[in-house]
Amino acid sequence: MSATAHTAPGRPLAVPARNLETWAWLFMRWSGVLLIPLVWIHVALQDVIVGVHKIDLDYVALRWAMVGWRVYDVALLAFAFAHGVNGLRAVVDDYVHDQRLNRAIKWGMFILWAVITAIGGVAIIGGVRK
Amino acid sequence: MSSLITTLTESVRYRGREAQWSFNFHRVSGLATLLFLTIHILDTSTVYFFPSLYEHAIAIYRNPVFMVGEMALVAGVIYHGLNGLRIILFDLYPHLWTESRQRTFFWVAFVGTIVLWLPAGFLMGRALLYYSFGVTLLGVPGG
Repeated sequence: MSATAHTAPGRPLAVPARNLETWAWLFMRWSGVLLIPLVWIHVALQDVIVGVHKIDLDYVALRWAMVGWRVYDVALLAFAFAHGVNGLRAVVDDYVHDQRLNRAIKWGMFILWAVITAIGGVAIIGGVRK
Repeated sequence: MSSLITTLTESVRYRGREAQWSFNFHRVSGLATLLFLTIHILDTSTVYFFPSLYEHAIAIYRNPVFMVGEMALVAGVIYHGLNGLRIILFDLYPHLWTESRQRTFFWVAFVGTIVLWLPAGFLMGRALLYYSFGVTLLGVPGG
Protein backbone atom coordinates (compact mmCIF):
# COMPACT_ATOMS: atom_id res chain seq x y z
CA MET A 1 0.00 0.00 0.00
CA SER A 2 1.31 3.42 -0.78
CA ALA A 3 0.01 6.94 -0.76
CA THR A 4 1.32 10.23 -2.05
CA ALA A 5 2.08 13.31 0.00
CA HIS A 6 2.54 16.84 -1.22
CA THR A 7 4.96 18.27 1.30
CA ALA A 8 6.58 20.86 -0.95
CA PRO A 9 6.07 22.31 -4.42
CA GLY A 10 7.16 19.92 -7.14
CA ARG A 11 7.24 16.18 -7.44
CA PRO A 12 4.85 14.26 -5.14
CA LEU A 13 6.66 11.78 -2.90
CA ALA A 14 5.64 8.14 -2.65
CA VAL A 15 5.02 7.31 1.02
CA PRO A 16 5.92 3.68 1.71
CA ALA A 17 3.67 1.34 3.70
CA ARG A 18 4.03 1.61 7.47
CA ASN A 19 6.40 -0.88 9.04
CA LEU A 20 7.78 -1.39 12.56
CA GLU A 21 10.21 1.50 12.13
CA THR A 22 7.40 3.85 11.13
CA TRP A 23 5.47 2.92 14.27
CA ALA A 24 8.60 3.33 16.42
CA TRP A 25 9.16 6.77 14.83
CA LEU A 26 5.55 7.79 15.48
CA PHE A 27 5.70 6.40 19.02
CA MET A 28 8.69 8.64 19.81
CA ARG A 29 6.72 11.71 18.71
CA TRP A 30 3.41 10.96 20.40
CA SER A 31 4.96 9.62 23.59
CA GLY A 32 7.20 12.70 23.55
CA VAL A 33 4.18 15.01 23.58
CA LEU A 34 2.61 12.98 26.41
CA LEU A 35 5.84 12.82 28.43
CA ILE A 36 6.18 16.60 28.66
CA PRO A 37 3.31 16.97 31.17
CA LEU A 38 3.92 13.51 32.72
CA VAL A 39 7.64 13.96 33.37
CA TRP A 40 7.65 17.69 34.08
CA ILE A 41 4.90 17.45 36.71
CA HIS A 42 6.62 14.43 38.29
CA VAL A 43 10.00 16.22 38.40
CA ALA A 44 8.52 19.54 39.59
CA LEU A 45 6.71 17.78 42.45
CA GLN A 46 9.22 15.17 43.62
CA ASP A 47 12.57 16.82 42.86
CA VAL A 48 11.82 20.52 43.17
CA ILE A 49 8.82 21.11 45.47
CA VAL A 50 8.94 18.12 47.84
CA GLY A 51 12.63 17.31 47.48
CA VAL A 52 14.60 14.16 48.19
CA HIS A 53 14.98 15.03 51.91
CA LYS A 54 11.23 14.73 52.48
CA ILE A 55 10.86 11.48 50.53
CA ASP A 56 10.77 8.19 52.46
CA LEU A 57 8.70 4.99 52.63
CA ASP A 58 5.81 6.80 54.37
CA TYR A 59 5.73 9.44 51.66
CA VAL A 60 5.58 6.81 48.89
CA ALA A 61 2.87 4.90 50.80
CA LEU A 62 0.84 8.10 51.25
CA ARG A 63 1.11 8.96 47.57
CA TRP A 64 0.22 5.47 46.39
CA ALA A 65 -2.78 5.41 48.74
CA MET A 66 -4.35 7.51 45.99
CA VAL A 67 -5.09 5.23 43.05
CA GLY A 68 -4.81 8.17 40.64
CA TRP A 69 -1.12 8.56 41.42
CA ARG A 70 -0.56 4.84 40.85
CA VAL A 71 -2.18 5.10 37.42
CA TYR A 72 -0.03 8.19 36.79
CA ASP A 73 3.15 6.34 37.82
CA VAL A 74 2.31 3.29 35.69
CA ALA A 75 1.83 5.60 32.67
CA LEU A 76 5.08 7.39 33.47
CA LEU A 77 6.97 4.11 33.81
CA ALA A 78 5.55 2.62 30.61
CA PHE A 79 5.97 5.66 28.37
CA ALA A 80 9.20 7.16 29.74
CA PHE A 81 11.17 3.91 29.83
CA ALA A 82 9.96 2.74 26.42
CA HIS A 83 10.77 6.18 24.97
CA GLY A 84 14.25 6.06 26.51
CA VAL A 85 15.08 2.52 25.44
CA ASN A 86 13.79 3.16 21.93
CA GLY A 87 15.98 6.27 21.83
CA LEU A 88 18.95 4.14 22.85
CA ARG A 89 18.09 1.78 19.99
CA ALA A 90 18.56 4.67 17.56
CA VAL A 91 21.89 5.49 19.22
CA VAL A 92 23.04 1.85 18.89
CA ASP A 93 22.17 1.94 15.17
CA ASP A 94 24.31 5.06 14.81
CA TYR A 95 27.45 3.62 16.35
CA VAL A 96 27.32 -0.20 16.14
CA HIS A 97 27.58 -1.20 12.50
CA ASP A 98 28.53 -4.84 12.99
CA GLN A 99 25.25 -6.64 12.23
CA ARG A 100 25.66 -9.48 14.72
CA LEU A 101 26.79 -7.23 17.55
CA ASN A 102 24.00 -4.75 16.73
CA ARG A 103 21.37 -7.50 16.93
CA ALA A 104 22.85 -8.95 20.12
CA ILE A 105 22.85 -5.55 21.85
CA LYS A 106 19.26 -4.86 20.79
CA TRP A 107 18.02 -8.23 22.02
CA GLY A 108 19.79 -7.62 25.31
CA MET A 109 18.17 -4.18 25.55
CA PHE A 110 14.76 -5.62 24.74
CA ILE A 111 15.04 -8.21 27.51
CA LEU A 112 16.30 -5.61 30.02
CA TRP A 113 13.49 -3.27 29.03
CA ALA A 114 10.85 -5.97 29.55
CA VAL A 115 12.33 -7.15 32.87
CA ILE A 116 12.82 -3.66 34.37
CA THR A 117 9.37 -2.50 33.22
CA ALA A 118 7.86 -5.61 34.83
CA ILE A 119 9.78 -5.02 38.09
CA GLY A 120 8.60 -1.40 38.22
CA GLY A 121 5.02 -2.36 37.34
CA VAL A 122 4.85 -5.04 40.04
CA ALA A 123 6.20 -2.55 42.61
CA ILE A 124 3.63 0.12 41.76
CA ILE A 125 0.74 -2.35 41.80
CA GLY A 126 2.05 -4.20 44.89
CA GLY A 127 2.71 -0.96 46.76
CA VAL A 128 4.81 -0.28 49.85
CA ARG A 129 5.37 -3.34 52.05
CA LYS A 130 6.11 -2.64 55.70
CA MET B 1 33.99 1.23 18.46
CA SER B 2 35.96 3.34 15.98
CA SER B 3 32.70 4.99 14.88
CA LEU B 4 32.07 5.89 18.52
CA ILE B 5 35.50 7.52 18.86
CA THR B 6 34.98 9.37 15.57
CA THR B 7 31.63 10.57 16.88
CA LEU B 8 33.11 11.82 20.13
CA THR B 9 35.95 13.72 18.48
CA GLU B 10 33.93 15.08 15.54
CA SER B 11 31.09 16.19 17.84
CA VAL B 12 33.59 18.62 19.30
CA ARG B 13 35.45 19.54 16.09
CA TYR B 14 32.73 19.72 13.47
CA ARG B 15 31.35 23.24 13.17
CA GLY B 16 27.66 22.53 12.62
CA ARG B 17 26.61 25.31 14.97
CA GLU B 18 22.99 25.33 16.24
CA ALA B 19 21.85 22.19 14.42
CA GLN B 20 24.77 20.20 15.81
CA TRP B 21 24.51 21.63 19.33
CA SER B 22 20.82 20.85 19.40
CA PHE B 23 21.50 17.25 18.30
CA ASN B 24 24.33 16.77 20.81
CA PHE B 25 22.38 18.24 23.75
CA HIS B 26 19.36 16.16 22.84
CA ARG B 27 21.38 12.95 22.70
CA VAL B 28 23.40 13.57 25.86
CA SER B 29 20.36 14.69 27.89
CA GLY B 30 18.37 11.70 26.63
CA LEU B 31 21.07 9.15 27.44
CA ALA B 32 21.76 10.69 30.86
CA THR B 33 18.05 10.70 31.71
CA LEU B 34 17.71 7.07 30.58
CA LEU B 35 20.64 6.08 32.80
CA PHE B 36 19.04 7.78 35.79
CA LEU B 37 15.58 6.46 34.95
CA THR B 38 16.82 2.86 34.85
CA ILE B 39 18.41 3.23 38.30
CA HIS B 40 15.37 5.13 39.57
CA ILE B 41 12.87 2.42 38.54
CA LEU B 42 14.96 -0.17 40.37
CA ASP B 43 15.50 1.92 43.54
CA THR B 44 11.78 2.78 43.76
CA SER B 45 10.92 -0.89 43.24
CA THR B 46 12.63 -1.70 46.55
CA VAL B 47 9.55 -0.29 48.35
CA TYR B 48 7.81 -3.53 47.37
CA PHE B 49 10.63 -6.05 47.02
CA PHE B 50 13.09 -4.94 49.76
CA PRO B 51 11.47 -2.10 51.79
CA SER B 52 14.41 -1.92 54.22
CA LEU B 53 16.75 -0.98 51.34
CA TYR B 54 14.68 2.02 50.21
CA GLU B 55 15.96 4.38 52.91
CA HIS B 56 19.55 3.47 51.95
CA ALA B 57 18.84 4.30 48.31
CA ILE B 58 17.30 7.64 49.27
CA ALA B 59 20.27 8.39 51.55
CA ILE B 60 22.55 8.13 48.50
CA TYR B 61 20.40 10.65 46.60
CA ARG B 62 20.69 13.05 49.56
CA ASN B 63 24.46 13.21 49.08
CA PRO B 64 25.41 16.71 47.84
CA VAL B 65 27.13 15.27 44.76
CA PHE B 66 23.90 13.54 43.75
CA MET B 67 21.89 16.69 44.49
CA VAL B 68 24.07 18.62 42.02
CA GLY B 69 23.49 15.77 39.57
CA GLU B 70 19.75 16.09 40.22
CA MET B 71 19.91 19.80 39.33
CA ALA B 72 21.67 18.92 36.06
CA LEU B 73 19.10 16.18 35.42
CA VAL B 74 16.23 18.67 35.74
CA ALA B 75 17.94 20.98 33.22
CA GLY B 76 18.41 18.03 30.86
CA VAL B 77 14.77 16.95 31.18
CA ILE B 78 13.54 20.50 30.45
CA TYR B 79 15.83 20.86 27.41
CA HIS B 80 14.99 17.41 26.03
CA GLY B 81 11.27 18.23 26.25
CA LEU B 82 11.51 21.66 24.64
CA ASN B 83 13.87 20.52 21.89
CA GLY B 84 11.69 17.44 21.41
CA LEU B 85 8.74 19.75 20.72
CA ARG B 86 10.79 21.39 17.95
CA ILE B 87 11.52 17.97 16.41
CA ILE B 88 7.87 16.89 16.68
CA LEU B 89 6.57 20.15 15.22
CA PHE B 90 8.77 20.07 12.12
CA ASP B 91 8.52 16.28 11.62
CA LEU B 92 4.73 16.23 11.72
CA TYR B 93 4.34 19.51 9.78
CA PRO B 94 7.27 19.38 7.33
CA HIS B 95 5.90 22.23 5.21
CA LEU B 96 6.80 24.56 8.11
CA TRP B 97 10.46 23.51 7.96
CA THR B 98 13.01 26.18 7.10
CA GLU B 99 16.63 26.34 8.14
CA SER B 100 16.21 29.73 9.80
CA ARG B 101 13.23 28.45 11.83
CA GLN B 102 15.30 25.49 13.01
CA ARG B 103 17.97 27.91 14.15
CA THR B 104 15.42 30.13 15.92
CA PHE B 105 13.79 27.19 17.65
CA PHE B 106 17.12 25.91 18.94
CA TRP B 107 17.52 29.23 20.75
CA VAL B 108 13.91 29.11 21.96
CA ALA B 109 14.63 25.68 23.49
CA PHE B 110 17.98 26.84 24.89
CA VAL B 111 16.77 30.08 26.47
CA GLY B 112 13.48 28.42 27.50
CA THR B 113 15.48 25.77 29.37
CA ILE B 114 17.39 28.43 31.30
CA VAL B 115 14.22 30.39 32.12
CA LEU B 116 12.30 27.31 33.30
CA TRP B 117 15.29 25.88 35.13
CA LEU B 118 16.11 29.03 37.17
CA PRO B 119 13.23 28.76 39.68
CA ALA B 120 13.74 24.97 39.95
CA GLY B 121 17.49 25.45 40.31
CA PHE B 122 16.94 28.03 43.04
CA LEU B 123 14.68 25.75 45.10
CA MET B 124 16.97 22.75 44.66
CA GLY B 125 20.10 24.78 45.33
CA ARG B 126 18.50 26.18 48.47
CA ALA B 127 17.70 22.65 49.66
CA LEU B 128 21.28 21.58 48.90
CA LEU B 129 22.73 24.45 50.94
CA TYR B 130 20.30 23.88 53.81
CA TYR B 131 20.55 20.10 54.18
CA SER B 132 24.19 19.56 53.23
CA PHE B 133 25.86 22.68 54.62
CA GLY B 134 23.37 24.12 57.14
CA VAL B 135 23.12 27.38 55.19
CA THR B 136 19.74 29.14 55.17
CA LEU B 137 19.19 31.24 52.05
CA LEU B 138 15.94 33.14 51.45
CA GLY B 139 13.80 30.88 53.63
CA VAL B 140 13.80 27.24 54.69
CA PRO B 141 13.05 24.45 52.15
CA GLY B 142 9.41 23.41 52.37
CA GLY B 143 8.77 26.26 54.82
